[in-house]
Amino acid sequence: MPLRSAIRQFFFPSLTPKFLIRVLLVALSAYLFFGQVLTPLRIKGRSMEPTYHDGTINFLWKWRFALSKPKRYDVVALRFAGNRVMLLKRVIAMEAETVEFRDGKLYVDGKEMEEPYVRFPCNWNLPPRLVEKDCVYVVGDNREMPIEDHHFGQASMRRILGVPLW
Amino acid sequence: MVTIKHLIIAVLAVGIAVWAAFYVFQSEERKVKKPFHLLEGWVSKEGGENAFVMAHKTQSIGSLFAQEFELRTEIDSVSGSYAPEEVSSLAARGRLMFSSLSLKFSDFDVKFPEEGTAKVILVAALKGKSTAGEYMDETHELECILKKIDKKWLFSYVEMVQVLKK
Repeated sequence: MPLRSAIRQFFFPSLTPKFLIRVLLVALSAYLFFGQVLTPLRIKGRSMEPTYHDGTINFLWKWRFALSKPKRYDVVALRFAGNRVMLLKRVIAMEAETVEFRDGKLYVDGKEMEEPYVRFPCNWNLPPRLVEKDCVYVVGDNREMPIEDHHFGQASMRRILGVPLW
Repeated sequence: MVTIKHLIIAVLAVGIAVWAAFYVFQSEERKVKKPFHLLEGWVSKEGGENAFVMAHKTQSIGSLFAQEFELRTEIDSVSGSYAPEEVSSLAARGRLMFSSLSLKFSDFDVKFPEEGTAKVILVAALKGKSTAGEYMDETHELECILKKIDKKWLFSYVEMVQVLKK
C-alpha cells in the first residue's frame, strides 16, 4: 500500500464491521481494566507528604488484597465517599492492638514503633485506644499537621480498595 | 398439547411482567431521589441572591423533612432532632454564612427495607465560598432514611457516615 494511502487509512480508517468490533473490544477492555484492576488516581492533599505529593498521578492496584490481608506499614486507599473519593493512608496497627501517640512517637501495645517514613517533626499526643475487630488503624505520613487537622483513625477493612501502584 | 407458540407467549408474558415490576420499582426509586434533587436546588446559592428568593428557598427546604427529623454528624452542636421549621431556620443560618454555595448528590444506593421506608446511601458534595472569602469543598458519605408520608417521601434521618474513628 502506498505510504500516503497507509497514513490516510491510519488516521481515517474505513468504518467496516471488523473495525467497529475492534473499537468496541478495545473500549470494553479499557473500561474493565481501568475500572476493576488499575484505576487512575489523582492525589489531593498533603496528609501523605513526603511519600505522596499533592497533585500527583498514580494508579490504584485493586487486586493487591485478593489473596492476602493488609499488613502494618502498607499504604492503602480507603473508600471515603462513593466510588470516586478515597483516602490514602498508612496502616499502623491491626485489629485487637492498642494504638497510642506520646510526644509524636507511635506506640503499639505499649512498644515504640519505628517510622522511617515520617520525615517532619511531630508532637502528637493521643491516649491509647483499641483497634476493633475487622478494622485497621490508619494515619497519614505528614505528622507536621496539627493532630486536629489530620484525618486518621480506625476504619473497617471492608473499606480498603487497594494500594497505590508506586 | 403445549406448542412452541404457547411457550413463546409464556416467555413474553413473563418478560413483560419482569419489565413492568422493574419499571414500577425504578419509578419508586425515582420518587425517592426527587427530594434530594430539590434539596440540591434549594440549598445552592449564587452571589447576589435577593431576600425574597432566600426566604422562599429556606422555607421550601423545611417542607422536605418529616415532623420528627434526626440529624447525626461529627459536629455535636448540629446533631439532634429537629422539626421542619427548625430545619428551615438551620438552613437559613447556614446559607447566610456563604456568598455562594453548591450542593450535589451522587452515587445513590436506594433500598426499601420495609413498606413506606427508603434507606439511601449516597455521596454529598458541598462547595462554596464564605462571606469571609474562605473556600469550602467538603465531600461526605451520607446515610439517609426517608418515610413516605401522604404520598411524599420526606427525610426522617440523616447521618454523616464516619469512615475513620480516632
